[in-house]
This record gives sequence, structure tokens and C-alpha cells, in this order.
Amino acid sequence: MLRYVLKRLGLMVLTLFVIMTLCFFVIRLMPGSPFDDPENSPALQALLEEKHHLNEPVPVQYYYFWRDIAADGYWGVSLKIEPNVPVWQVLRDRIPVTLSLNLMSLLIAIPFGILAGAASARFRKRLPDHLIGILTVLFISVPSFVFASGLQYLLGYRGPFAIIYNSTGTPGEKLFSLLLPVLALSFWPVATICRYLRGELLENMNADYMLLARAKGLSEAQSISRHAFRNSMVPLVNVIVPLITGTLTGSLVVEKIFSVPGVGGIMTQALAARDYWLVMAVLVFYSLISLGTVLLMDLLYGVIDPRIRLAGKREVTG
Amino acid sequence: MNAPLSPRQNVLRRLRKDRAAVIAFWILVFLLAMALFAPNFNEYTYRQQMLQEDYVNMPPRVQALKWIPLFNGRAVLKARPLSSLSDTAKYPEGCVIRTFNERTNRGITVVDAEVDYYLYKGADESVNFWFGTDTLGRDIWTRVWRGTRISLLIAFVSVLLDLLIGTAYGAVCGYYGGKRDLILMRIAEVVQAIPNVVLCTLMILLMGGGTGTMIVALACRGWTGTAGLVRAQFLRFKNREYVLAAKEMGASDARLMRRHILPNAAGPIITRTVMAVPSAVFAEAFLSYIGLGVPAPEPSLGNLLAEAQSVLGLYPTQTLFPALIISLLMIAFHLLANGLRDALDPNEY
Repeated sequence: MLRYVLKRLGLMVLTLFVIMTLCFFVIRLMPGSPFDDPENSPALQALLEEKHHLNEPVPVQYYYFWRDIAADGYWGVSLKIEPNVPVWQVLRDRIPVTLSLNLMSLLIAIPFGILAGAASARFRKRLPDHLIGILTVLFISVPSFVFASGLQYLLGYRGPFAIIYNSTGTPGEKLFSLLLPVLALSFWPVATICRYLRGELLENMNADYMLLARAKGLSEAQSISRHAFRNSMVPLVNVIVPLITGTLTGSLVVEKIFSVPGVGGIMTQALAARDYWLVMAVLVFYSLISLGTVLLMDLLYGVIDPRIRLAGKREVTG
Repeated sequence: MNAPLSPRQNVLRRLRKDRAAVIAFWILVFLLAMALFAPNFNEYTYRQQMLQEDYVNMPPRVQALKWIPLFNGRAVLKARPLSSLSDTAKYPEGCVIRTFNERTNRGITVVDAEVDYYLYKGADESVNFWFGTDTLGRDIWTRVWRGTRISLLIAFVSVLLDLLIGTAYGAVCGYYGGKRDLILMRIAEVVQAIPNVVLCTLMILLMGGGTGTMIVALACRGWTGTAGLVRAQFLRFKNREYVLAAKEMGASDARLMRRHILPNAAGPIITRTVMAVPSAVFAEAFLSYIGLGVPAPEPSLGNLLAEAQSVLGLYPTQTLFPALIISLLMIAFHLLANGLRDALDPNEY
């Protein structure tokens, strides 16, 4: 087990290293300097560049980059959005907003997805299954930002709900104003869970042990909930990684639509302003979440299925 | 008796029985045709700004569909002084359809007036913006379909690249195996572990926004999935008797891969490829939305949605049309992919 964990951990660290190196060189090799500003005198510009080590050769800068992170935990400061504020401090207030937005939509999505999937499998090829099937295709296909715009117009402008995030209100008002973005983000995970669970359940319902369960006198509903359902939940771990990364991606745009002060909004701003180190921090944040989820799921797999642990790897899916 | 069916005929026959997939296919044909030809259906170009005539934020009007409220070219002007409505210099004869919501504001009686917006702006019957115009006075019909064309172009080419690179990569890994496989797959695994947003952002920062960049950015992670799939199929089939027999008869490596092993992987590859197109459409729209996509004035579905979003409360039709088209595209591709998957792999329930 230890070897397996170390292996996965090693791959994660390697990937993060590759991402940060890529980030660094992309940012450094772009033409121009962040301090190219007609208002800056040449002397000031030289001073600023010296301060940020921009006047030295790129490999030396690369060395400084890692030394600063390793020695002082210094990831650079925001250059444009909030000048001279360390990047993680800029993100400190925003990360919890993004995380809570995403977690809320997932927490809403999971029970509904499971219910819909179970109902769909239970009433296979009958009206509920067809209806859920249509909704599933709709929810999987239509992008979250289209849902976001639609909800914002129909329930926000035309209805009683908050149009944008209420950042000055009481906690209750804040939560209320998060309702629409959470809703917009949860359609896709609901449908994904539903479709996956339906497939798994249908497969399990044909298994021999289901025949036995019915033979010993369990009702259809009992045999599904006690036997088929439990076996179907294990592979559901498969969809959790795409669910989390997918929702996080969608929230980038949904946050922008509803003016939610999260990481998504700052990323858009930082990209537009070419605020390099801030962009880097945001990208590292997204990578960490994504890599962390993958690692967690790999470990869970190892716990659930000893064959994977022993072989040391699993087939990469999706 | 019926003649025996070739595998391809078999798949097509099963696909044709799937009503949803057939409808999806024709929807896609329609959208593709519109994307190719519709921008030329009227005299406006995608970047022409009709600012002199002040044709800004015009509501949609289609003469033949005037009975539908959406296309009647009317708009509501809020809080206009009642007395000013009779001023024909400002409100041409007959342009006010009805007034409602009469109220007094600081001693002046104001009303909301539903007006024939085209008449109000001094445009005659010959001026029709089928989907309206945007905040810069550009024809949305032309922009939406041109945007669809660009989004589809980016999606198709990036998926094609993904397919070519992934197949070649996976084939080499699966066929030769050994150390080469180990190293190549490790690289693919690392690339795959980088989140799509991060990789695309970096590529676009590096190369600057544009259609070509978008294609490369979208393809540069997608191929890993195809490679894994092809590799698995190669591992499964490379030691089959017929492959060994062909090898014994002196077939070259390339021929073995192309003629004897690859056809086995065709089914899953086709399904994956069709599935990848809507993902690419989504990714393009998403990147354009956060300002990384095709630069203005070139439209794409994501650009159009992002531009329209800022005036959603005032002019919802500007969002409606691109949103409808992107949704329709995604739904149709998903349905077609589902149908193909079932037709290619009939064992799945």
C-alpha cells in the first residue's frame, strides 16, 4: 500500500512541477515587461525590473523562482489587480467562496442524481425513465453558462431572485443570492450521476445475486436498495473526479455571470490585465484541486479494490 | 433471403432505428448548412456597424413571422413623458402601438410605450434584422451563424488533430510495448493530469488568441484519451492468430497496424471522436467567455454569449439566439454519439 501511495504522490508532484515550470516559462518568454508603461520613467522601470529580478537571464530567474518558493514561501505579488499584495493573500478571501459554491452544487446534485438514476433504472423503458432520459440529455448537453443566463433572466430579472451576488448583505442574503449560481452549476452533475448510476444499476440488476434476492422473497424495491444499489455505488467513485473538475470549470464562467467574488472572477481579470503571478497562482490552485481529487480517488480505489493496490496502477479512464 | 450485411451496413441499420440519433443527425446537417451559408443570406457583414442610422440594439424582425411576438420588431420604451409621444419628430406617425403603466413622476405623467422600434428609428419595411442587432449595431443573424461556423471549425479540426495524434501515439505504445510504451505512457499520463483549463490558458497565453491557437490548445490534451483507448485495443489484438499469420507472411509493422489491428479499434474511436466534438464546442465557448478565445471582431458562440451577457436584462434576445444554437448543437452531438455507441456495441443493454 505504502508503495502505491508513494507512486501516486510522486506522479502528482511531478505533474505539479511540470505545470509550474510550464507556467513560469510561458509567462517569462512572453514579449514585453509587465512594467512597460509610458508613465514609468526608464529609471523606475529598471528599478522595478531589478526588484523582480526581471533583468537577469531566464534560467537564473527560474532558479530564483524556486528558491523564493522553497525558502520564503514567496509566490510573487499581484502586479496589476491589487499591486504589491502577495498573490495568495489576494486569493485568500476568494477561494472559500469558490469552494463553497462548488460544494453546494455538488451536495445538492448528489441526492437528486441518485434518486433520478434509481427511479430511471427501476422504471426502465417506462414513462419515468423516458422523461428522466430526456432531462438527462438536456442537462448534460446544455452548458452551465447557458443555464446561468437563462436562470438569471427568468428568475432574476423577471422573478424575485437576486440577479447578482449580494456581497454586502447579511449571511442569509448572501446565501440567497448564491441560489441561482448553485442551481446553474448543479444541473450537469445531477445528470452525470443519474446517467452513470442508471447504467450501473441496470447491469447489477441482471446479476445472479439479484435473482437470489428475489427468490428469497425480497420485493423489487428491497432487492434494489439493499443489493443492486450498494454494488452500484462503488464505481460511482469513477465519476467524482470529472464531476469536481467539470463543476469547477463551469464555475469560472458562472461566477462571472453572477459577479460572485470567487477565483473565477479574479482569473478573468488577471488574464485580461496580464497579471502574471496572479494567473500562475490561480492556475496552481486549479491544478492542486484537480490533482488532489485524482489522488484521493486513486487512494480510495486502493482501499476498495486490493487488486489495484497490488498492481500499482489502474487503467486510466476518461 | 436477404443478402448478408457488412458490419458497416449492420451498424447503419441499427443507427437508423434510433429515432433520436436520426433526428440529431438531421439537426446537425441543418446547423452545419446554416453555418456555411446563412451569413450570406442578408446584405450585412459580421463587422459592419450601423451607427449612422443608429440601428443599435434593434429587436428581431422577420416580415413573414411578424405574428410571433419575438419577431415583430417591437420594443417597450420605459418611462416616457405622455405629452412627448405626440411629437412626430421623435415618435414618427403610428410607431406607438400602445401605452400602459401610466404614473406621475415629479409632476410629469409618464407611461411605458410599446413601439414599433423600426418605425421609431426611421427604418422602413425593407430593413429587417432577423435576429436584431447588438450594442455596436451589428447584425446578429450574420454574427451568430458566422460564430457557429468558427466554433464548429475549431471543434472539428481540434478533434481531428486529437484523433490523428492519439491514434498514432496509442498505436506505437500498444504495438511495440516494452520500455518505449512505459515512457510514452508516463508522458501522456502527466499531460492528462494537467487540468484542461490550465493547459488551454497556458497555450493561449503563449501563442496569443486566434482560431489556430484555439485548435492547438484544445487538441493538446484531448489526444491522451484517444491514445489510451487505441493502446488498449492494440494490446488486446496484437497477438491474435490472424495478426501473427499476417506477420508470418511478411507484412510490415505499418501494414499490420493499419490493416489488421486498427480496424478493431474503429468502434470505440468513432464513439469517442463524436463525443469529443461537443466537448470541444463547450471548451471553445468557455474560453471565449473568459476572454481567451478568438479576438474581436471575429464572432464565436462563446464571444457572442459573453457580449450579450452584459445587456441580458435589457435585450434578452441577444443572448437567446446564440444560447439556443449552442444548446441545440451540444444536444444533437450527444444524441448522435449515444446512438453511435449503442449501434457499434449492441451488447450494451
